[in-house]
Amino acid sequence: MEKKWIYALEELGKEHLDLVGRKCANLGEMTKLGMRVPPGFAISVDGFEEYMRATGLGARIASYFDSKGQDLRKSVRSQMDASRAAKEMMAETHLPDEMADAIVRNYEALCSRFCTKDMPVAVRSSGAVSMPGQMETYLYVRGASEVLSRVREVWESTFNTRAIAFRLEKRMPVDKAPIGVAVIRMVNARSAGVILTVLPTTGDTDHAVIEGNWGLGESVVSGDITPDNFIVNKSSLAIEPHVSTKTRWVVSTERGTTKADVPQHLRNAPCLEDREILELVRISVNVEKHFGVPQDMEWVIDRDLPFPENVIWVQARAAKYTPPRKEADNDYILDQMTRLFRQ
Amino acid sequence: MTTANGLDSAKLSAVVPGFEFDEKADLAQSPAWFLDGTHSVPPWTPLFGWFWINFCRHGMQYGAEKLSLPTVKGWDWRFKNGGGYLTLLLVKTEAEQRQREARFREAIRPFVEDYDALWQSQLTEILARYEDLKKLDLDKASNIEVLDNFEQTINVCRRMWEIHMYMMYGTFTAYILFENMCRNLLQIDDTHPLFHKLITGFDNKVLQVDKKIWEFSQRAAKMGLSEIVLTSEPMNIAKNIEAAPNGRDFMRDFRAFLDEDGWRMQRMSEMNMPTWIEDPSPPLTNMKQFLVKGGGFNLEEERVKLAQEREAAEKEVLARIAPEQKGWFTTLLRLAQKSGVFSEEHDHYLDLYMHAMMRRSALAIARRLAAAGTIGSVDDIFFIIPEEIRKVALAPEQFDLKPTVAARRAAWMEWCKTPNPPVILAEGFDMDQAMGVLVKSNDPIALKVVVGAMPVVRPELKADLHGTCGSPGVAEGPARVIMSEEELADVQPGEILVAATTSPSWTPVFSFIKGVVVDRGASLSHAAIVGREYGIPVLMNVFVGTQQIKTGQRIRMDTNLGALFILDK
Repeated sequence: MEKKWIYALEELGKEHLDLVGRKCANLGEMTKLGMRVPPGFAISVDGFEEYMRATGLGARIASYFDSKGQDLRKSVRSQMDASRAAKEMMAETHLPDEMADAIVRNYEALCSRFCTKDMPVAVRSSGAVSMPGQMETYLYVRGASEVLSRVREVWESTFNTRAIAFRLEKRMPVDKAPIGVAVIRMVNARSAGVILTVLPTTGDTDHAVIEGNWGLGESVVSGDITPDNFIVNKSSLAIEPHVSTKTRWVVSTERGTTKADVPQHLRNAPCLEDREILELVRISVNVEKHFGVPQDMEWVIDRDLPFPENVIWVQARAAKYTPPRKEADNDYILDQMTRLFRQ
Repeated sequence: MTTANGLDSAKLSAVVPGFEFDEKADLAQSPAWFLDGTHSVPPWTPLFGWFWINFCRHGMQYGAEKLSLPTVKGWDWRFKNGGGYLTLLLVKTEAEQRQREARFREAIRPFVEDYDALWQSQLTEILARYEDLKKLDLDKASNIEVLDNFEQTINVCRRMWEIHMYMMYGTFTAYILFENMCRNLLQIDDTHPLFHKLITGFDNKVLQVDKKIWEFSQRAAKMGLSEIVLTSEPMNIAKNIEAAPNGRDFMRDFRAFLDEDGWRMQRMSEMNMPTWIEDPSPPLTNMKQFLVKGGGFNLEEERVKLAQEREAAEKEVLARIAPEQKGWFTTLLRLAQKSGVFSEEHDHYLDLYMHAMMRRSALAIARRLAAAGTIGSVDDIFFIIPEEIRKVALAPEQFDLKPTVAARRAAWMEWCKTPNPPVILAEGFDMDQAMGVLVKSNDPIALKVVVGAMPVVRPELKADLHGTCGSPGVAEGPARVIMSEEELADVQPGEILVAATTSPSWTPVFSFIKGVVVDRGASLSHAAIVGREYGIPVLMNVFVGTQQIKTGQRIRMDTNLGALFILDK
């Protein structure tokens, strides 16, 4: 294959959305902004398409979908059947050696950068268009063969029933999906969580809010526990801490992650030091300035690295929030002023 | 018609070329033309009429267009016998209204988001332009420079009206919305005393000038000048003070104050009377009236009281507003409060100041034309128009404008004898229909300054006259009917002022009268705003007050009831 289809994150930026998908483009952009992100590489949309083409899998799936014709459009059952059939065809179809070698070479290069063998990585889907059911994330993937099968599983997720239904509904080709894959070093997470540079319920942009827990970030995002909450004034940097009792966390295992009880001595202790909080605020405010809109960012504190190298970012996107009351009020006034002239 | 010397006499007599009222064509364009009674009674001199018709007209259309008002494109104006006649330019199709609505919603935004910054930026711009005009030493300048100064003055006047009407349309839109909301949520409108309490108790530039004059009255008393002031006729006050031992210092400071704040004439919409800088008798007469009345500057004490009442009223009203409505209601309340301040300050900084600038520049040319014999006297300048000034300004001795001046002056004196009709209607079109057009326009200025609310007649009160409440309260005292600015000096403390309308240059008398009755007015007209700030009752839209009330008659006004009683008929 002539065309390049694997990229280091440092090569990427937000302009590469269509090439490598949103997740990878985003990580690349964050790298450009000088943020510490876990090192890794991206498999572009072309990689998926080459796999489908070189193995003949694409043609087989397309003809299968064609044979179903209008049934596929009408019945959920036949969409479920199609999903199962496509995934079975994929499971039987190995990567061409040349492609498998390329992925393994890149993984091993990443391992050797950290002088470890079988270094744990996260394998994440990176869609160029956001599509339901297509958000596969595999944590603590260890070893080359495991990486290869997880990459293929990410690709398989484009044939989830919901993803198929979505493409049918949007009148997109059913047998194709623009999907990239991110393979990044797993951070040995001491704590993790999110920071928003706006208070989402009030639209207050003078403050940032951090939520975090011990262990991996999944426990915070899933909403299973009440995380620690820190509200920070973005100009005075005054911290208002709300430390909660954290009973459960997500930790790594030999083959992935699991939920577990938080050790007693950590339950009521804040999961972040003040200097870490301030570092999170400092960087997120810079990112907010760069993009011009409030940010919603995911962070991890690495257990093995010293401060401030231990502050690592895995996600940055525009925050969703209720516009400030004042803005909503002004909009209401503008609407009413306009209506005045209709009397 | 062409005369023997080749001049077209019809063109020569046109005061505002292109905008002379043409009954046939103009009634075909619009069936109703209203006289601007507030500004063009008594009739304008030709030069002032030229400025007003050209640029007030332009400013209104500019303001309506800049804001993209959905239903109206400003007003059209015509000149007729010294009167300004206006009609509304309605947006003709619903489709265009919808398009304008979308743009309007964004164009009005700065008024809602940061009103103070907006008004300040406009003010800064226009004041800088005035300063530019003042830079030229008119006595030493060449004819070329003086004419150029006049041309610049025309441009600044044009810009003044743009700012004026853009700000006024936007400000009054906010005020009207607030009044609507009060009507819906609190069942009160802007003639209700509670409403007045909400928007009263604010300082503004016009009141600050009043206060400075009061301070001079205190200083005059301290310096032992009271006796001189009290015994002098208005035109002699300055002369007599200067003749006193320490009077020179006093007058020097008084003139310094006028250099700053004296860019105004007694009549707001005219330029043929001296400014306070040229003739300080009007403000010195106000100072004298303060001395007659004695006591403190009641406005100050009044404002403290009004501000407390306002805070109490705000509390009362907000308690009746649902929590989720409080945010926008408060924003609108603040905007409505600024409307009153804007109404007064814009008169000072825009109308009065600009007209003084026009007079300054026109007089400089007049002195040269009079010296060259082009015109007979300096005052003749008000009877020629810029087209003619351009024709003669660089080589004045070559031309004779005296016949033009004589013809126009004669015409003007005729205009002054015969009042202009309040409205000119097409055949088959009546006054109710004409008012209907005004209301339908939704034009914020037409609604809040021109039309106003109609008085409710309540036969059970057995009142002699009815009006609407411009400022709440009850007063009883002798009436003083004032038909023009010259009579202001006659007003005595404790009287009730009766007038057609009032102008910002009248404010100093508000501090010692008991109440005001005006024939026409709405809640944002001058008499209402100033009356509220001075805490005296104002009865508006009485229509025939100046005809039915005689100076000296005891009258009792109760604005809460909207009633006026003549006690000694």
